[in-house]
Amino acid sequence: MAVNRWLATGNYFTSYRDEQRIFATHLNRLFFFAFLCCLFVWPLLFEVSNKYMLVIDNILIAIVAIIGLNLLTGFAGLISIGHAAFVGVGAYCLASFARVIGDEHILITHAWPVMIILSGLLGAVFGAFVGLPALRLKHLYLAIATLSFQMIFEWTINSMTFFNQGQTISVGRVFWFTGQVMRADHYVFWYYVVLTVIIICWFMASNLLRTRYGRSLIAVRDNDRAADAMGMHPGLTKVYAFALGGFFAGVAGALHAYLYRGVGIESFTLHHSISYLAMAIVGGLGTLNGSFWGPLAIRTLDLQVDNLAEKAGHIFSANLSLATALRPLAFGLVIVLFLMFEPRGIANWWRIVKSYTKLWPFKY
Amino acid sequence: MKTNKKVLICYIAASFILFAAALQPAAAQTYKIGLSLAITGPTSDAGVPYSKGVEDYFKYANDMKLLGDDKLDCMIKDDAYKTDVTKRNFEEFLDQGIELYLNYSTGSTLGLKKDFEEEKIPTLPASFHAGNLDDSNYIFLPIVSYSGQLIGLAEYVTKMHQGETPKVAMFIHPSAFGRGPVEDLKKAVEAGLNIEIVEVVEHGKDLDNTAMLKRLSSKGVQYVFCHTVQSPVATMLKDAQRLDVAASKFGENGKMTFLGIHYTGGNDLIALAGDASENFFWTTSYTLTSEDTDGARIQLEMAKKYGRDDKIANSHNYTNGIMVAQIAVEAIRRTKAKGKKIVRENLYEELNAMNGMNAFYPVTTVGPVTYSKTDRQGVDTLQLYKVKNGVFRSTGSTFTSEYYKKIQ
Repeated sequence: MAVNRWLATGNYFTSYRDEQRIFATHLNRLFFFAFLCCLFVWPLLFEVSNKYMLVIDNILIAIVAIIGLNLLTGFAGLISIGHAAFVGVGAYCLASFARVIGDEHILITHAWPVMIILSGLLGAVFGAFVGLPALRLKHLYLAIATLSFQMIFEWTINSMTFFNQGQTISVGRVFWFTGQVMRADHYVFWYYVVLTVIIICWFMASNLLRTRYGRSLIAVRDNDRAADAMGMHPGLTKVYAFALGGFFAGVAGALHAYLYRGVGIESFTLHHSISYLAMAIVGGLGTLNGSFWGPLAIRTLDLQVDNLAEKAGHIFSANLSLATALRPLAFGLVIVLFLMFEPRGIANWWRIVKSYTKLWPFKY
Repeated sequence: MKTNKKVLICYIAASFILFAAALQPAAAQTYKIGLSLAITGPTSDAGVPYSKGVEDYFKYANDMKLLGDDKLDCMIKDDAYKTDVTKRNFEEFLDQGIELYLNYSTGSTLGLKKDFEEEKIPTLPASFHAGNLDDSNYIFLPIVSYSGQLIGLAEYVTKMHQGETPKVAMFIHPSAFGRGPVEDLKKAVEAGLNIEIVEVVEHGKDLDNTAMLKRLSSKGVQYVFCHTVQSPVATMLKDAQRLDVAASKFGENGKMTFLGIHYTGGNDLIALAGDASENFFWTTSYTLTSEDTDGARIQLEMAKKYGRDDKIANSHNYTNGIMVAQIAVEAIRRTKAKGKKIVRENLYEELNAMNGMNAFYPVTTVGPVTYSKTDRQGVDTLQLYKVKNGVFRSTGSTFTSEYYKKIQ
């Protein structure tokens, strides 16, 4: 360990315990908590329109889902093209309760933290079930198995009248200590809830990665036979990776349902699964902070392309569909460019910036 | 004495100020309206002319001073047919202080229904799904619902069909939009409507309908009711022409007659299906530019005035957009004429009062717009059109669905 606990210009680890510290220096910890404070305080200082608060909440929910996908695909190396379906499982868990007991039932409006955890657990169960083929399948074959889950999920929701054939199932407004959370506070309220969930998820994930269960994910990703030889159980590890991914996705689904006050299939389609995968890639697979960068980058890009497509839509004729084509074009281009020029994602830029500032004012 | 003088001077000054204020014309107001619809993405072929219709009529209302010096500011946002984007747009419009909201798709109208209720904002969607009206007070359909249109079409078939009970198949969109009227048609059959529903087909993205048409033909289907968008109907009509199963006149023996409701028809269908669209029967409540009507003339003049191309000018979705804007302007005009403030509550009241002697007659529809607290489907009257020599021509007089009233 470096003598100066506030600054460290190199790695001075003298024990595994040192190496596994979440915060390398006190300064890192200080910055982190200062940043957290800023995240909690800024909505009290600045007034943001509901529209932008909705956008921010959406990004935060995607972060929760991407933490799960990153554990699954980034750390355990298991490709999932059905992540939106896992998010959907969480959302439809809540929607099912709303259908059976009513969307204004006390369980939904008052016991919402329990419902969110329950949705996460159901996501984990589905994740573990879908992960079973991982015992026999690898790489692209496994990806196809997850894709089939996505297809089955969409078909089931679209066909069953219990799920309103994919149309919106309403979810009631929740209550807080101050009473029912009405529209004026709705988005700010969910901002704080989702932010708290993210912090918990982040601590859960970073602590998990410091344990043998977390390290076994990486070991199985790098070489499952070697991991087997080292005494790990690759099959169980894969299934539990899927369960973990499913849990985070389920939580994200429940948050999505509460934020939008309804659940409809169009938020959990294959397109969304690809979008989640893109967020994980652009953010940086196998890095926790990539789970933050990816959703931020892709959702912001979505918003900008939406604006551009709208402007183009007013100019071009509908027949040309140029405006419509702008969205997939921009999206595809970003993915291709990242895969070509920065396969390690935005997280790598963050790493470079950190390395640079670590030595500052000396030359990097 | 001095004090009395001062008071007198103050009185006179105050009177002058009040008099001057009374002489001043009231400051012109701007009323905000929001429209979220698919300018890009799925159904943008209908969304673009619809948005131009809304935009042009509001411009026209401002230019012609239909509301005096007051202006209308309609914010139009693309939602790419996604409910979450519609929600975002709706929140933005609320932040901007809209008094009336125009929505588009069935999915988003159903998804945001609770928001409309909470906000107590009168909403006019482009979706005529009957389910929009369930547990809702603030959604006003511009014309009769898809269910009403489909049952009306079925009534026409029972009236014109010769022989035993007509055998019918339904060709519908695989969504709530498509499925909505199926149950209502079944209810009408239970209520005594004399048709036999042989099969309900939810189309996919098939580019060939041979198997389906052969199957329907072997089941003795005589009429196919379509409720979807134009492209799947065009594909089916082309296949029916190729297989020689399409009737060359209404109810031809051994052949199938194809009929559809609002979003299946229009010039886009003819452009896509070509000759195969001949003898396709279509019902809607709007006037068409292929017919010589006042509505068509006004629509074409408006399109010319605002520089729209022929495709948009002749689109029934352009008419659709104009008509929705007409209802909005009329509600504001009437509220204003009564000296009331232009706020959601008053507009809601005014829309609900649009019935009887107060019914609104936009020339762009084949009947009047009537709303009340128990009836929030605008134009109940329908007109049947048929493709003849490459254009839609009206056939028979206007009608309303009797069985639809029975099952409501």
